[in-house]
Amino acid sequence: MDFLRILPRWFFPWCEKTAIGSIIQHSRWSFAIIETVHIMALAVLLGSFLIVDLRLLGYGMRRQSVAEVAKQFGPWSWRAFVVMVATGIPMYLSEAIKLSTSGPFFYKMAFLCLGVLFHLTVHRKATNSSVNVSTGLAKVAACLSLICWLAVALAGRAIAYL
Amino acid sequence: MHLVTFFQWLNETPFSVALRENDWPFPIIETFHILGLGLSVGVIIWVDLRLIGLTMRSQPVSQVVSQLEPWAIRGFVVMFLSGSLLFFAEPMKCYSTIAFRFKAVMLVLTSLNVWYFHAKVYPNVAEWDEAAVMPWRAKMVGYVSMILWFGIIIAGRWTAYL
Repeated sequence: MDFLRILPRWFFPWCEKTAIGSIIQHSRWSFAIIETVHIMALAVLLGSFLIVDLRLLGYGMRRQSVAEVAKQFGPWSWRAFVVMVATGIPMYLSEAIKLSTSGPFFYKMAFLCLGVLFHLTVHRKATNSSVNVSTGLAKVAACLSLICWLAVALAGRAIAYL
Repeated sequence: MHLVTFFQWLNETPFSVALRENDWPFPIIETFHILGLGLSVGVIIWVDLRLIGLTMRSQPVSQVVSQLEPWAIRGFVVMFLSGSLLFFAEPMKCYSTIAFRFKAVMLVLTSLNVWYFHAKVYPNVAEWDEAAVMPWRAKMVGYVSMILWFGIIIAGRWTAYL
């Protein structure tokens, strides 16, 4: 499955012709630099998510309630996510045509949407409780959340190989 | 024996050749290395930010360190194992890449930073555990750690490009 089968054909060349897309395509180091920032934001994002999800599973930061841990790391997760999108879009624009036939890229976006939706609904509910004990729902939410984001990262890595 | 002679020998061992020339080992190991970033650097930067005094100020330093450091250590074990294997796959390429040499030097410096923190700074944490302003040595360890880890990520990324 790939985006070429879903989106209109003209979309991809249009992306590459945008100012941002063309600048990155023609500059030797832009892509590498943007990708490096993308990776640094990934470290911050994965770290924050891991800490919250580990807490949901009952590990680490146990003296605070799940809600308190989530409240502390939430804003940073969100900022790191914004940086990842802000660096991801320029990278996409610079190689939209190549990515239109990429299976891994399609699945990365699919898991990304799934992860965000899941995060804003079930996960948010699980982190709202001010109890110190993790419940069944909390554990499921944590596992699914971790799986989603790991799938995004794995698919992202696979883009270069497949 | 010179270091380069050792790396040349390593480069020709059957294990190294196998890692290099088979399709899947390298990408799989590299994926662990990239995902491990979240558990290692992604977690330790929160300890660093606490040492600097920028986050989790309501939490005593000793609590943040004792709760998060074990997880960061597990992450670093993953990074060390996967990183060693990646190095074994192409020792000569790593040896002759400037970016990788920077990375190696910075890794040694982070080890020194960690040693310094636990030997000279953390032992008297009871005196500044809940201080409003962190002692300058603690802040320094935090800043040095963050700068080094982001430098390591950048150098790691550029090892692939140069």
